[in-house]
Amino acid sequence: MSLTKKRGRGMAASWYGISRTAAMDQAGAWAEIDDGGTAKVVTGVTEIGEGILTVLAQVAAEELGVKPELVHIGDNDTSRSPEAAHAGATRQTYMIGNAVAMACRDSKDKLFNEIAKEWNVEKETLQAHDGEIWANGTNYKMPMSEAIHICKKKYGVIPVGSGNYTSHNTPLDPVDGSGSPWQAYVFGGQVAEVEVDTATGEVQILGIWACHDVGKAINPKGIEGQIEGGVVQAVGQALMEDYQQVEGHTTTGSFAKYILPTSLDVPKVTTKIVEDLDPLSPLGAKGIGEPAMVPTCPAIMNAIYDAVGVRIQSLPATPEKILRALDEKKRKSNGMAIN
Amino acid sequence: MHKLTINLEVNGRKINKEVNSHYRLLDFLREDLDLTGSKEGCGAGECGTCSVFVDGKLVKSCLMPVAKASGKKIETVEHQGTPDNLSTLQKAFFLTGASQCGFCIPGMVMAATSTLRNNPKADIEEIKEEMGGNICRCTGYQKIFDAVELARDVISGKLDPKALEEYSKPEASYLGANVKRIDAPGKVTGRLKYAADMKMPNMLHMQVFRSSRPHAKIKKLDLSKAKAVSGVEAIVTCDDVPGIDNFGVFIEDQPVLAKERVRYVGEAIAAVAADTLEAAKEAVSKIEIEYEDLPALYDPEEALKDEILIHEHYKTNLVKHIPIRKGNVEEGFAKADLIVEEKFATQPVEHAYLEPMAGLSYVDSDGTLVIVSPSQNITHHRHMMSKIMDLPINKVRFIMSPVGGGFGGKEDMIYQGMLALCAMKTRLPVRYVMTREEDITSTAKRHPSRTNYKIGITKDGKITAVQIKMLADGGAYGCSTEGVMRKAAILGAGPYKIDNLQMDTFGVYTNNTPSGAFRSFGALQTEFATESILDICAEKLNMDPFELRRKNMFVAGDLTHTKQELNSASIGTVLNELESLASWEKGTPNSRGASRKDLNGKDNRDSCFLGARLNEKPEASGGVK
Repeated sequence: MSLTKKRGRGMAASWYGISRTAAMDQAGAWAEIDDGGTAKVVTGVTEIGEGILTVLAQVAAEELGVKPELVHIGDNDTSRSPEAAHAGATRQTYMIGNAVAMACRDSKDKLFNEIAKEWNVEKETLQAHDGEIWANGTNYKMPMSEAIHICKKKYGVIPVGSGNYTSHNTPLDPVDGSGSPWQAYVFGGQVAEVEVDTATGEVQILGIWACHDVGKAINPKGIEGQIEGGVVQAVGQALMEDYQQVEGHTTTGSFAKYILPTSLDVPKVTTKIVEDLDPLSPLGAKGIGEPAMVPTCPAIMNAIYDAVGVRIQSLPATPEKILRALDEKKRKSNGMAIN
Repeated sequence: MHKLTINLEVNGRKINKEVNSHYRLLDFLREDLDLTGSKEGCGAGECGTCSVFVDGKLVKSCLMPVAKASGKKIETVEHQGTPDNLSTLQKAFFLTGASQCGFCIPGMVMAATSTLRNNPKADIEEIKEEMGGNICRCTGYQKIFDAVELARDVISGKLDPKALEEYSKPEASYLGANVKRIDAPGKVTGRLKYAADMKMPNMLHMQVFRSSRPHAKIKKLDLSKAKAVSGVEAIVTCDDVPGIDNFGVFIEDQPVLAKERVRYVGEAIAAVAADTLEAAKEAVSKIEIEYEDLPALYDPEEALKDEILIHEHYKTNLVKHIPIRKGNVEEGFAKADLIVEEKFATQPVEHAYLEPMAGLSYVDSDGTLVIVSPSQNITHHRHMMSKIMDLPINKVRFIMSPVGGGFGGKEDMIYQGMLALCAMKTRLPVRYVMTREEDITSTAKRHPSRTNYKIGITKDGKITAVQIKMLADGGAYGCSTEGVMRKAAILGAGPYKIDNLQMDTFGVYTNNTPSGAFRSFGALQTEFATESILDICAEKLNMDPFELRRKNMFVAGDLTHTKQELNSASIGTVLNELESLASWEKGTPNSRGASRKDLNGKDNRDSCFLGARLNEKPEASGGVK
């Protein structure tokens, strides 16, 4: 190993609030068990890449007792779908996930009313999962496709459900800031391992270990994807990204000048999901989108300090800044030696 | 417009066609052939979203003039597979969850296909190097690497093709199962249409005339020459706004188009809708303006003095101050054995979602104004639009188009108003697609911040008092500054029980590019300071950094900084799990890197040496491990 390459590790912890901050947050959804044992869910959800459509399909499948691939999620259209507000504040799984769960429970309840009549059983004995419906303690069982057919054709009922979820977040006091800005909090922590080249000032992030509480993990692979993506965005912020202006004029107006992490810059990310279920909401899920990147920058800066003894307090830790800090450190220690 | 005739083969089809001679191959594929799987992420060959094969070679189609494609065989992502008949690589992308927003993915699929065609046995380092010209902003690349390695092993016969279908169906519950992404097949095949991929009959193209001054009065705006350009259907300015002309996520302080003055370079002043993009661009170049420059502010400290005002009617540059007070910091510092004071700073950061801002607007037969856009908050946008256009809410309809990455950047309604004005004025569909440069220079950034931090702590590591003051540059308009200051304040002191806290965050106006919402929304800035200063304290106290955090962390029942009782606090579990996950060696954070025993474990990647693969890896693989 080269004499100028030094390795080190650092850690950092973090916390984050789930859903809109210090303001009431609400989301609505409609659900309908549809012909053929399929389902239709309509809500003002915004898939920005995090995989929320898949999460909602899983929630609907679980709640309705149908297969997730048979769930259709309607497009977000302010004139056609119930309001579910924005894709931000790490709120969609928490707010819209729970709203969809409530809508599905309403729809399923309407189906169960009719099937209980059909089988002459107590509604409470009915259960549905993975495309089948049955009554506990009996031999009654049939596919959802048949159940919905009976519900419609024999009893004249279309099981349309609606749901709403509210997070009762309160505003902050304007003087001392007291208040309950969120119902649900998540916590996280990351360790970074870096290699710093003291000749060039270049830092490579070799490994990140990320541990995050997300509440109930609905789709673990999706959560891993959010953590890996968040970590790499933070690697950009920690080491290279820097939007610059001179007297208001942008000097970094292209990806040639505004440097982003590429496949060659990224660490291996090892993830561990902690599930501390939210006690207040039906699903127990919380969120991960934003919290994923909070501890990364300080963990990296702490690791750089561990490796070479310089602490970068002004992001990003560019090679120039590292070299300057190493120089200063050297001058200081020389000075001390002379004195 | 100059035309030329080209002969070429695209996805196995022979094509003989007259095309615009200034077109790049990408324009021809997208505009003339509707092969919109090839995306334009940057237009400069830097992001790879437009990757195609030309005579079997991976090429960025935004860099190739269409004339040069004549006589060649072109292969696009549309030729790699269809949603019901995916290629091996596409199946692997589907299985590993490699597509998130999906905008970079067609290019990634092409680059990965090229990598494995060039070397079916490529190892992970070669895969990374071969795909280094394709940027992904969502995934962190890890699931993409997983997909390419999986496809490689299936193609080479090392793995059964069944490995591509692998999905263990959960027995008891779908909650907690790795259900494959339902939107992935449309993304990995390039079939999903983003706003810039959509077309309507008689659609006009919009272009925007933007400010070249950071702070100036508009003395005169002359549109006469621009209006005379053939093909121009409408030019709109602030005078065309029928309703209340302002918008913003928290404070509605921004006009759809600059009114009397401009406050940052890149601010929209006028928008042109024309029957071709070229005519719209030409018209923009013929708009004439006279400015009267005003003194400008670039430094948030200067802004606090209020000597120059960015929004005069507010009589202050302060957008928002959020105070949090708990206990008494003076008493707390008096109890401390150690007091540390430090300064921290963070830079402005660009969202760099791979899909530049784009949208489409039209007026329905019943008079409903429709806006199709990849917005993160169409619920709020319709409220603002109804005021701006003076229409009841039911006559404003927002449809969300697939979002090619947002990260907070697509919460601001910065171009939809212009589109709506053009659509209402012309009663024709209008499309607007920003160039990468336009997007970078005119849209909001992560708030740059400066933080002064003072912490008091006992010698056994108990925090007695914390005093934090953060100043953030909000730029020319309010956007999400208020919310960012709030979250920075509430969360900034970290997940620790602190009896005496004084926290203040300030966001101010300047003439810089506006700052807005960005993933982690202020908490990133302040928690960076906290987690850095805790390590400084840990070194001075001769204490392991995990240990210091454990001594102060919240437990259920504790009061947060805003005096909320926590019903649950998993930080203790998280720290324990993290410590064992990383096999952390306990010790004081005193630059002990050289003597640590927990380095160089298997969960690190190799350190990267440029060209290492070509030079038999002199140090890359052997040296360190």
